[in-house]
Amino acid sequence: MSSKRHLPATGLLAGTTAVVLGLAACSGGTGAGSAGGGGGGGSSATKGATTIKLVAAEYSKNHTKAFWDQFAQAYKSKTGNTLQVQIVSWDDIDQQSSTMVQNNNPPDILNLNAYASYAKDGLLYSADEVLSDTVKSDLLDAFVKSGSYQGKMYGMPDLSSARAMFYNKTLFQKAGISAPPKTWAEFQADATKIAGLGNGAIGYGLPLGPEESQGEFSIWMFNNGGDWKKDGKWTINSPENVETLTFLKSLATKKLTQNNPGKTNRQDAFDLFASGKVGMVVGFSPLAGKLDADKKVQYGVAPMPTKADGGTPQTFGVTDYLMAFKKKGNQDAVKAFYDLYYQKDQVNSFIKAEGFLPVTKSGIQEFSGDPKLKTYLETLPNAHLTPTDDPTWDKVKLAVQQNLGTAITGDPKAVLDKLQKSAEAGG
Amino acid sequence: MALLWLAPALLLILGVVVWPAVELVRASLARFSITGLNKGSAGLDNYRNVLANESLGTVLANTVVWVVAVVALTILISLGLAQFLTKDFWGRRFVRWAVIVPWAASLVITARLFSLIYSYYYGTLNAVLLKLHLVHTPVDFLGNDRWIMPSMVAVGVFVSIPFTAYVFVAGLNAIPTDVYEAARIDGASPWKIWRLITLPLLRPAILVATVLNMIYVFNSFPIIYTLNESNPGFAHDTTITFMYKLAFKSAEKDVGQSAAAGLFNVCLILVAVLVYLRVSRWREEES
Repeated sequence: MSSKRHLPATGLLAGTTAVVLGLAACSGGTGAGSAGGGGGGGSSATKGATTIKLVAAEYSKNHTKAFWDQFAQAYKSKTGNTLQVQIVSWDDIDQQSSTMVQNNNPPDILNLNAYASYAKDGLLYSADEVLSDTVKSDLLDAFVKSGSYQGKMYGMPDLSSARAMFYNKTLFQKAGISAPPKTWAEFQADATKIAGLGNGAIGYGLPLGPEESQGEFSIWMFNNGGDWKKDGKWTINSPENVETLTFLKSLATKKLTQNNPGKTNRQDAFDLFASGKVGMVVGFSPLAGKLDADKKVQYGVAPMPTKADGGTPQTFGVTDYLMAFKKKGNQDAVKAFYDLYYQKDQVNSFIKAEGFLPVTKSGIQEFSGDPKLKTYLETLPNAHLTPTDDPTWDKVKLAVQQNLGTAITGDPKAVLDKLQKSAEAGG
Repeated sequence: MALLWLAPALLLILGVVVWPAVELVRASLARFSITGLNKGSAGLDNYRNVLANESLGTVLANTVVWVVAVVALTILISLGLAQFLTKDFWGRRFVRWAVIVPWAASLVITARLFSLIYSYYYGTLNAVLLKLHLVHTPVDFLGNDRWIMPSMVAVGVFVSIPFTAYVFVAGLNAIPTDVYEAARIDGASPWKIWRLITLPLLRPAILVATVLNMIYVFNSFPIIYTLNESNPGFAHDTTITFMYKLAFKSAEKDVGQSAAAGLFNVCLILVAVLVYLRVSRWREEES
């Protein structure tokens, strides 16, 4: 986050506006490209060669910048075009991208976890304009669907992840549990056994704080037959969803979770699991990467338990997007960007380095050799996503993040009713 | 000719003060899409929406508590600290440097450090309290609604003391020693000397420190934003973090509303400062 000191010189007005306008000076990206970004993307240096700008989210300090720098070189030698790269942390990227659009100076390619609002505002190229057929047919259907707004694809997936239940084998053994839970009843019984071990043991790490409460709630509701939207209608306060949130609240009331789950962020829950105190947590492959590197916790990965006996476990899938802004004269350069990005050695090596999951059919084949990824890869093509194709979701998601946690101390139904109402009103 | 000499300063003022202010007003009157795209005029809707926000009352109350508590505690503690720092003692230079450190460190880093100190599971503060048997279970400083504001105020005071204490040190050094000598010869008690000589002569310094602290503390962003990070909603936000969340984090995600809130903020602090100056001058005339 930017360093807005509360002392000295910054004038009152200047200080206030800096926050509002998110002046670039506050929080520069760490990227390589020239920071000014003024010139606008489409300006041609020599005839035929174009300079385009990429604003990318930082997935990890070690790999993201290295990958994109190498990519920019490959792009240059292949097309003759220049790719300016600016890497921005996840904390700042919403603010930065909003400021760029506000100032009428968007990048050519933006890497973000949402795209539908941008498509709705008519700022983006559709896949028909910038994606070649071979690339498009290689993308997994689930992601083509989630990337499509009003029948046209605008959100090109850069990588994906799928969630699964991580459990601490040592704690399971101590509590005498032989296999990970398959139903909610078993899950609750197991969590109770682990919490009963004492010594600070926590049954389940439940993060409903503002960082990503929509993710935690999604995977539980999907395994109770619920969803955010069904047949084009918002179903946030459906009976199954109220039941799901009430169940999560009851875990907290019964002291099966860590302290104050409504105010625990995902990262805090992961940290607790990595410290070996937590029996179970919903995690994804980057968490596995960290646990493998630490070698401290003996863990297993299992499909999510379902509410119903013998139900099919649902996984919650997430994908981020690379979207392309319509600007004069950048269409060919943008198309060349996607052509190169989706080459097997590019996209898959990026995903491998960052520890995520593939977005292409050829990627699934390439990754299928890795036994660690088996649980995820099998479920990935059927992964259940949030309704990222609806621009309203971009606002609903924020409302969920800021409000869901209050259900732990408040009334789950009232919280969901309110969210449903704001979703129906268009966010 | 004069204009030539004034030009750099004027340009600076235009660029740093006037231009952002104009942009802020313009943004507050425009309708923005969630992407940041300007969709034309909004009239006064942004202002209306901010005033209609159901959390506004909580946010304003938080702001008053935050500013009053931090400034009052800072002034009180700094008065004592400044007296101590003007005394001659072995190692004074070292202590003076130590007092400056919290000011020199970046607020974001200080705030992060405190979120570790306050942490429920790993925090040093809880470890100490448990060891001393002052508490039986850890205190959730940043999650328990009763504790969040006091925890944030403590950090606010911690980072505001250096500046304030040094203003007072300068003020104390400016008081001529013969006044004290005369008072002592007349047999005044230390308490009387402090109340009737030190305090009145320190008045300008106190006034300056209070006004500047009010503005700084009111505009303080990183402490509240960082320590309040894992709490959903606006329950512990002040107007500054409220404004930021309106623009980028909340369901509103509306730059226009945020700009309107920003203008309200400017008015609010101006009024607060004017009221304070009025009240303190009025007392001066009366005494």
